[in-house]
Amino acid sequence: MRAAAAKRQAQLTARPHSAWAHRFAAPFAALAPTLAIVWWAFPEDLPLWRSIAIVSAWAGSGLLVMSLVLMVREPHAARLLGGLESMYRWHHRSGMIAYLLLLCHPLTLALDGWIEAPPLAWQALAPWAQSWPLWLGWSALLLLMFGLTTTFAARLPYRRWRAFHFALGLGVLLGLAHIYALLGGADMLLLLIIVTAVALGWRLIASDLGVAARPYRVTQVTHHVGGMIEVRLMPCATALAVSPGQFILVAFGDGHTYHGCGEYHPFTVSGIEAGGSLRVGIKALGTCSQRLQSLEPGVLVRVQGPFGIFLSESPSAPQLWVAGGIGITPFMAVLRAHPCNRPTTLLYLFRNEADAAFLDELAALATTDPQFELITDASDKGLPDFPELLGKIGQIAAREVYICGPMPMVEALLPHLRQMGVAAESIHFERFDFR
Amino acid sequence: MRKLFIISTAIFWLAVAGFWLADFRTATVPVAAVPPVAEPAVRGYLLVEVAWHAKPDDCWMAIDGSVYDITAYLPDHPSEPELILPWCGKEATQAWQTKGKGRSHSPRANQLLEKYRIGVLS
Repeated sequence: MRAAAAKRQAQLTARPHSAWAHRFAAPFAALAPTLAIVWWAFPEDLPLWRSIAIVSAWAGSGLLVMSLVLMVREPHAARLLGGLESMYRWHHRSGMIAYLLLLCHPLTLALDGWIEAPPLAWQALAPWAQSWPLWLGWSALLLLMFGLTTTFAARLPYRRWRAFHFALGLGVLLGLAHIYALLGGADMLLLLIIVTAVALGWRLIASDLGVAARPYRVTQVTHHVGGMIEVRLMPCATALAVSPGQFILVAFGDGHTYHGCGEYHPFTVSGIEAGGSLRVGIKALGTCSQRLQSLEPGVLVRVQGPFGIFLSESPSAPQLWVAGGIGITPFMAVLRAHPCNRPTTLLYLFRNEADAAFLDELAALATTDPQFELITDASDKGLPDFPELLGKIGQIAAREVYICGPMPMVEALLPHLRQMGVAAESIHFERFDFR
Repeated sequence: MRKLFIISTAIFWLAVAGFWLADFRTATVPVAAVPPVAEPAVRGYLLVEVAWHAKPDDCWMAIDGSVYDITAYLPDHPSEPELILPWCGKEATQAWQTKGKGRSHSPRANQLLEKYRIGVLS
């Protein structure tokens, strides 16, 4: 399960050559409004350090608000902003830059005081010398500090990590209240408050509470080898328009004997059937996916999405797909959807055959589809012998390479691909982490 | 990014501690070491004296080294009272210089302020 982010996976995605707009949409969304805010608030005729304090406060607040916009999980917005992966990367980056800027804010105010008269420096910081508008600012900064400390605590269980993450949202609200208390209802501030309310509200009500989700029902649970199940989901209302390679967010409810964990986790679609039924492959990796192994037909689920832009543009070059373990699922969705329309080699890596799902189905596809070639490799311990495996693939330098599997595998494979002459822009993968 | 967070947070608290230490050291300089000064032409007030006047019906502020009794002007101030009242009894230079959008008060407001000057901050 990708959401159980302790098991980080590289999620396959398309990064088409012409998709620079996809790559720059999220950073543009974070930086352009921030620059506009700084331009609007740029101080005139003020001492240097006070000017820096004001600019850092407005830039930090703008970036913080935009980082909230970038964590809204809405399929249309995600498509517009270059996909969830890019949005999440810039959610993290803009949040971190905002934090650095906001740390500078009180320090530069103190420096400004120092230049005027050294005792004024501590007076600008000391909590007992402040009034409630400034306590709001301090509370916001301390909440951001606490929220980020838990964000970076790698060993925290996902559910607790998520609960602590709400401290960051509260920190943003207190920060805006601090500005409101000091400056009153300036237009720009009101705009920031509205954007924050919409982003937080959308995320909490539509995504986390699932108001925007579609109802589906589990109609079949197939147990595969290697502790993996494949679940067939039938739409109870309008089906989502999913393309092979995309992923969906699913929250499983309760059945007769099954008790779902009820929270949304991302699953890559492994098959799309007539009538909009979807299949998802789930491996027991975290607490929630472990419980899912006893899932039964009849359970109601809520589905959001689809997300991801895998092969949204189809290059005509021959392809090499590399799948590690459960990373086979997006390739299954493509292979089940239609025969290959260009030479395609799938390199399927697993621990041992007893651990490799879909092996029979893939072998059958390889005999019926002349464009499709299957190479498998079982490496009980450690990493596969990549030079030997890649040596089996003809015209490797001319291929577009798509990788889906655990991050250590991807990181070990990349230098070998580069050595074999594959251009960096022809290698596609996504570091996906829902934290 | 984790490393950046840890380093920046540590530097922040070190800087805060540095400002506190600097203040602590200047505050503990023995009073006897200060040479006697001639009686100033204008009355000097300590910040602590300003702090005694922190009520809406008795509101002093220290701005740019001067002390002002703006009690009489408070009802005429254009902003909501909750914006200005928290600064009564305080060093309010920051607030004076960052009105709205982070901009200082107008030259006209500067002239008006002078009418309420009662002394300097000593």
